[in-house]
Amino acid sequence: MATLEELQARITRLDDVKQIEKLQRIYGYYQDYGEWLKIVDLFTDNDPSVEEADRGVYKGKEGVKRYFVDLLGGGPDARQRPGWLSILFQLQGVVTVNPDGRTAKGRWYGMGMEAKPTVSLHEGELRQTWIHGIYENEYVKEDGKWKLKKLFFNLVFRTPYEDGWLKAPVVGQYGPDKVIKPDAPPTAYSPYPSGYHLPFSFKHPITGK
Amino acid sequence: MNLEELEKEVTRLEDIQEIENVQKMYGYYMDSHHREEVIDLFSDDFESLEIESTGLFLGKEGAKRFFLDNDLIEEGQKSVPGWINILILMDGAVIDVDPSGKTAKGRWSTWLAEAMTVGGLPRQQWVHGYYENEYVKENGRWLFKKLHWNVTFFTSFEAGWLRIPLLGVLNRKDADAPAPNFHPYPSGFHLPYHFSHPVTGE
Repeated sequence: MATLEELQARITRLDDVKQIEKLQRIYGYYQDYGEWLKIVDLFTDNDPSVEEADRGVYKGKEGVKRYFVDLLGGGPDARQRPGWLSILFQLQGVVTVNPDGRTAKGRWYGMGMEAKPTVSLHEGELRQTWIHGIYENEYVKEDGKWKLKKLFFNLVFRTPYEDGWLKAPVVGQYGPDKVIKPDAPPTAYSPYPSGYHLPFSFKHPITGK
Repeated sequence: MNLEELEKEVTRLEDIQEIENVQKMYGYYMDSHHREEVIDLFSDDFESLEIESTGLFLGKEGAKRFFLDNDLIEEGQKSVPGWINILILMDGAVIDVDPSGKTAKGRWSTWLAEAMTVGGLPRQQWVHGYYENEYVKENGRWLFKKLHWNVTFFTSFEAGWLRIPLLGVLNRKDADAPAPNFHPYPSGFHLPYHFSHPVTGE
């Protein structure tokens, strides 16, 4: 029979996983609505980073803010354009908490539906797209709260609704922004049909490799 | 932590698991048209059911009216025809159990692939919406206290959400009131969160 202390440690571990899953899903809801400042506040102040698709790595809390508020949001005072749609399901989390209970990693599917002007040949015209990618994120526990340390979304496809992933794997990606520049180039941008396999944060549950 | 506090933590974790199961089972019962089983997931003190755009249904009586008067069955039919299909993905559970351990709230994101009659024609649809539900624990079991599904779009498989955000309006005459929160895409409506920000607490 486990001691009270051992039991507490195990329950804390279960709760950690729950809290991290909740954090990731709440991030998803905020991104659905384009609530960029709320997303920035989900990150730790200590060396966070964000990288999505081919946009490059934005480092530090200021970099994270620059990415979400200035680049994705179009600036702190920008209003969301009518018809903008960004639904990204946060699916199938595999969360691995470090034995010290202070850091964790999580792999997720990000799959969803969009309507954005960024993928149009004609500025201003909205296009409807399917999007799919894989997250490999890192989390850190500070003052009893789990926060995002690293958000990394590796795009697999973003395809026009009318065409599909086989005919048009990616639209609307033009490389790192020329004005709101990242702190480092993209680290692993290789969408479908490259055959790229994003490394797993988890170890094989049977072989341990 | 003493034994009592540990037990409370375990109970809370179990509660979250059971609530997630109730929500998912509700989906499985719905997609296979087990409406009687659905009703039994509802508390006798059930408050309200709001499923856009059908309307607002009050109390358990209202919920019974909504589910048992199955609008997927047309006149002359005894059961739901086989070609009618409802696939419901329940994703993104954010469940918060009240410190009392007796009530809870939950948000979900849903994705549906459907085939049914809309506007008199057989149609296939993609549907998206969010749930913001309330649950209550009675005699050790979690039940629905309030059900609110807020539609984002209801589009044809052929057209997509940008071209046809809403394939049809499914108002029901037997509702107690029109749907209070029916603001589909592209309205930009944000369904309020029951939860506070996990870091700032705001």
